[in-house]
Formats: sequence, structure tokens, C-alpha cells
Amino acid sequence: MSTFLQVVLRSLETGGVYALAALGIIIIFRTSNITHFAQGSMGMFNTFVVATLVTSLQLPLWAAALCGICTAIVLGCLVDFVIIRRTKKVSPVAKQIITLGLIMVFVGLAPMLFGVDPLMLPRFIDSGDLNILGATLSYNGLLNILLGFVIMLVLFYVLQKTKMGIAIRTTASNEPVARLMGVPTRNVTLFAWALAACLGCLSGVMIAPTTSVTPNVMDPVQINALIACVLGGFQTFYGPVLGAYIIAIGKNLLTLYVSSVWGEQLMYLLVLLFIVFRPQGLVGKKFIKKV
Amino acid sequence: MKKVTVNGQGPSGNLALRVYRNAYFRYILFGVIISLLPMLAQSGVMPSSFLVNIGSVLIYAVVAMGLNLLLGYSGLISLGTAGFMGLGAYISGYLTEAMELPFLVAVLVAIVVAALLGTLVGFVSLRVAGIYLAIATLCVSEILRKTFEELDQFTNGFSGFTAGYPILFGISLKREATFVLLTVVLVLVMMLTHNLVNGQMGRALHAMRGSEVAAQAMGINLLKYRLIVFAIATAYAALGGALYMHFVKFSYPSTWIMMFSLNILAVVVIGGLRSIYGTVIGALIVFAVPDLVLKRIPVIGKIDGIAYIFTGVLIILVIMFYPNGVVGLRQDLKRLMSKLFGKKKEGAHHV
Repeated sequence: MSTFLQVVLRSLETGGVYALAALGIIIIFRTSNITHFAQGSMGMFNTFVVATLVTSLQLPLWAAALCGICTAIVLGCLVDFVIIRRTKKVSPVAKQIITLGLIMVFVGLAPMLFGVDPLMLPRFIDSGDLNILGATLSYNGLLNILLGFVIMLVLFYVLQKTKMGIAIRTTASNEPVARLMGVPTRNVTLFAWALAACLGCLSGVMIAPTTSVTPNVMDPVQINALIACVLGGFQTFYGPVLGAYIIAIGKNLLTLYVSSVWGEQLMYLLVLLFIVFRPQGLVGKKFIKKV
Repeated sequence: MKKVTVNGQGPSGNLALRVYRNAYFRYILFGVIISLLPMLAQSGVMPSSFLVNIGSVLIYAVVAMGLNLLLGYSGLISLGTAGFMGLGAYISGYLTEAMELPFLVAVLVAIVVAALLGTLVGFVSLRVAGIYLAIATLCVSEILRKTFEELDQFTNGFSGFTAGYPILFGISLKREATFVLLTVVLVLVMMLTHNLVNGQMGRALHAMRGSEVAAQAMGINLLKYRLIVFAIATAYAALGGALYMHFVKFSYPSTWIMMFSLNILAVVVIGGLRSIYGTVIGALIVFAVPDLVLKRIPVIGKIDGIAYIFTGVLIILVIMFYPNGVVGLRQDLKRLMSKLFGKKKEGAHHV
């Protein structure tokens, strides 16, 4: 029982990271109609900013993280302003390939600006473990789990209750009509890109202490977040979050109880089978093809 | 779209012109010119290290040709290229090194296994479309990559698998001869692709890309062509992987990551969708220009990551301003010329 709990708690921690990244992807998808393949790379880049500030300027982690979020906002706005706005006429598939180009730009920029050596990022809370029914959880892990939940709750509150949230949802449901109704869709997409970059940065700062900060640090996060989006369905904002937690928990439980070698592959295979039988995802509405 | 006169029956055609206009002749000519490169390297005009780079470009061109069939002709986006290519590499490597089967048999087995797997993905593609399909294929690729890492009795795990140059009919090929072999394979693949896309299948794929429903109404069997096109694309990828194994001679699981699939995608987009020569040019731009040109420029070449930035910026620029890829450049140049000199009749050549 205690191992089970231990694994679930760990999965909640990684699941939160995946969920934040997935939220970024889904917000971009809903507002700009682009699958954001560069979510992980932008997060990686900003994590590099944070790590560089911590290691070379000796800033405390929270201050560095704030700076990282600021650069993330700037970067997100820049991407939207310089590239995405000018691609209104480009076909949807081609738009996605633009984000693939963005990945390469960020993966190339990171070693250019921050050097080729991997950097270390400390945890928010250095030490101390919590004991819950025999399972141990570090305070940092607890913080990550709570942080994930709090950010998501705030975000859902913003989406549901505030004016900006309503604007985002209107843009998501039908962009041309939203524009006709006087919704400033340009500002909405700008906000969405900045928000997605922030979420990417946060997920990077949360995952980085478990490894070192390299250009590939976010690859697994990116892939799992994309798969979470597919699993949860692209139609709602909460579907991908659900998918992210399911993938994280399912993967670890399969690795623990079924096979330590094949657990992860099995999870992906199950997701694949699931979307074959339910292409719209967990909570998506059925997509009706119109001629 | 490319306009090729297969038999060259132009009104004014002497024999030489007719032969030159023949598409197959052009492919062969292209192959012959490329296979002269090893001689250039031996005579010292070109550093022989270039040979490895250009050889890999030929391999990537074969793989990208498969993706072009999917993305360009059928409009299906796939991010599983790296996984299938790795599969081909490991199968042919294992069969030749550990089981000592002949090279040709190993390559054939690799192609067949990958094509079967590709057919399965084709079934998935009937259910999910667009971005869902891209992520589903990414899922497949990730499963394969994890498997390469874990099955270390076959793949030697993280430490990587090594294989030798191919042995063809009892003759063990050297680097130069393998290069020629790559050229031959590329030319054959180009011809095969040319035939596929100009035949019935090509028309069916065009129709399906335009509208699946309309294509079905016209009596096109979606299932059949989806499965065929996925099988061919994965077969090309596996063929490329097998050649990679025996030309580059090692393979690590970390080679076959999403980034690699993205590079192949970049080849197709930059080179030009639905263009055979464009794919080769794209491969040259994405894989050879950073290594052969950028790294030799004094100051810029020293910066880390310049190759990635170059490719990334190029992809973005091409999509934003040049959606037809660099092959569109020739048409535009022609148009510009006729505009400047103003006597050729306008618009007759571009379709």
C-alpha cells in the first residue's frame, strides 16, 4: 500500500508538470489553431534563463524564477508578434510546421547564449520529507503538487469568470465571429502565447531539479503533454489536464506492477488504442465531418 | 506541380532533346553525376570527409521521399519517421552482424517488417486525422525508441550498435563503393516515386488530399490507398535506416528522437511539397549546408547551435513567404526572366 501511495504521489508531481505544459498547448491550440510543438523548447529556454541567473548571478531561486517568467512573457509575445500574426493565410498544417521551426531556433539559441555545459537548478525547498501513511514525499514534491493545482485552479477561474477568460473562450469557439463581436482577438492570442510561455517556464523549473538543464530537458515533457492533449481531447481546457495526470499515474503504475521494462511503452500503446476507438479523446465532443 | 513529359513527344524534337526530356534519363544522369563525387574526393579536389556528409544526405533524401508521399501527396502528417528508420537500421544491422545473413536479405526483411508496421499505422490514420494523426505517429515512434533502449540483447542499448559496410554478392564494399550504392538506391527510389505519383495512385492521392468525401464518391478506396501510402513511406524510412546502419556504421537510440523526424519534415517543407528533386535539394540544405558550409565560415561557424538556428529560421521563412518550397524558385526565376526580357509568352510554363 505504501509503495502504491508513494508511486501515486510521485506521479501527481510529474503529472502536474505535464498538465501545465499541456495547458499551454491547449490554450494556443484553441486561440491560434496551432499545435504548439515548441512549448517544451520555449520552456527549456526560459529554464536556462532561470538556471543561468541562479548559477552565475547567485540570485535566489524565487527571484530567478520571476525573471524567467518575465522573459517567458516577452518571448511569448515576441513569437506571436513577429511570426504567428503574419501567418493568417498559411494552411493549418504549415502553421504547425512553423512551431517545429521554432523548436530548432530555441534548441540552437540555448547553447549559443548559455554555453554547452549542463546547468544545475536547485529545488525550492532543499530538504525535509513528509510521511503520509508510510509513503514519503519531499516538501519540494508537495510544493510542486500544490503549485500545479493552484495554478490550474487560478487559470480555470480566469477562464470561466474574468473578462479575459470569456474573450479567450469566445475566440476559441469561433475566431472570425469573435472578432465581429468586438473581441480583441489579437490581444487574446498575444495573451495566450505569453501565458503558454509562462506555463512552459514553470513546468521547466519544476522538472529541472530532477535532472540537469540541457537543451533536451523538456523533450519527455513535450511528448507526454502532446499525448495528454490527444488523450484528453482538444475541445476542452480541462481534458488535457485530466489526460496528463492519467498518463503520469498510469505510466508509473504499469511500470511498477506489470513490467519495469515495458511499462511506458504499454501506456503509449493503450493511449494509441484509445484514440483509435475514441478519436475525439476523453471529454471531447464527437467531431462531425461536414462536406 | 512538376511538369514532366515522359516520352518527350514535343513538336520540335530531335533525338537528343527527346532523350534529354525523358524523366528517367534525367534521374539516371543525376545519379551518374552524384556517383562521380567519390572520384572527386580521391583526386583531392574535395575533402574526403565530405563524402560521409553527402552520403548521409542521399539516405535522408530517400527517407524524406517517403514523408513527401505522405505529407505532400496525401496530406497526412507523420512524426514517426525516426522510429521507423531506427527500426530498419536495427533490424538490418542485427541480421547482418549477429545472424550473418546476406546484406540484401537483411534490408529486405527490414523493409517488410517496417511496411507491415506502417500498414497498421495506416489503419490508425483512417480513424484519426490531422494533428491527432501526427501525435499518434509520434506515439508509435516513442514506443519504438523506448524499445531500442530496452531490448539491449538485440540493439546493445545505450552503448549503440555497430555494423560494417555492406557485403554485396560476396564483394565487401568500401566507403566509395557504398556511396555509389546509395546513389543507385536513391535514383531507383526517385524513379519508383515518379511512377507512383504519376500513375493511378498519384491521382487517387491528389483526390483524397482535396476531399476525402469527394474522393470516396468518385469510387476511390480510401482504405486501400491509405494503407499503401503508409506502407511505402515506412518502407522508404526502413530502407534509409538500413543504409544508414551500413554507411554511418553505428546507431544509438538517442539518434531516433523526435528532433530527427522534425528534420526530415523540414527537408520536405523546405525542398517543396510534391517535388522529387525538391526533396533531394531540401535534404542537401537541411543536412549538408550546416556541416559543409556554415561550420567553415570563420566567426559564425564557431557559434554552437548555429546549424539548428539556420534550419529553424529557414523553415519559418519558407512557410511564411515561400510555401511552395525552394523548387518554386526556378519557376519564379523563369517568370522574372520573361518579365525582364519581356518576349516569352507569359504563364505558359507554370501549372
